[in-house]
Amino acid sequence: MKLPALLATLVTGALLLYGTADFAVWGDPKSPPNSNISVHYVEQAVKETHVPNIVTAILGDYRGYDTMFELVVIYCAGMAVMGILRRREDS
Amino acid sequence: MEGIVAEIMAKYNYWIYVVLMMIGFYAMIGKRNLVKKLLGMNIFQTSIILFFVSTGAKKGGSIPILDKQAALQGAVDVNLVVNPLPHVLMLTAIVVGVSVTGVALAVMLRIYRKYGTLEEDEILHKIETE
Repeated sequence: MKLPALLATLVTGALLLYGTADFAVWGDPKSPPNSNISVHYVEQAVKETHVPNIVTAILGDYRGYDTMFELVVIYCAGMAVMGILRRREDS
Repeated sequence: MEGIVAEIMAKYNYWIYVVLMMIGFYAMIGKRNLVKKLLGMNIFQTSIILFFVSTGAKKGGSIPILDKQAALQGAVDVNLVVNPLPHVLMLTAIVVGVSVTGVALAVMLRIYRKYGTLEEDEILHKIETE
């Protein structure tokens, strides 16, 4: 049980470390995640939403529906917890 | 050899996340206690969150809160503001992670009520002997 788990962990870790060779250097402003859509958000978010905090602008304005339906996720989790933990009266 | 060392030094943050992720992965598949498995899953999630936030880092960049008047006139240097998009996405991931942890803890409480233990092999033994 322990040895196969350790072997699987080591093999997966080695594969992931091999995969890091394709990532951009840490802190590179020209890396792929920093050079496509995020440039638009940084430059235009204040003009389009008048919110100085860009994280808030994206969370509450561009991704407003995403944030709203996060509430559904929490609601479902709460209902599931209530359903799981409820004790029936007959038992 | 020096090329490999320079490569690792430039990307050592990814190595830290891989090590954290493998600690969580081993806890998930190697441990028998259900609470330890859940803790492993939380460590795994944390490493992914750290990884995503680090992809948005920029050397010399400051926080993504701008001067409103300057930004309205277009005076924003993109290279001096860190990428806000990974931060937003990881907020969503944190919410989902908290929900999953809550439901998992509730299921564990239910298992403990029925079988009186959280050790995986003892639960399997009790199921088989019933």
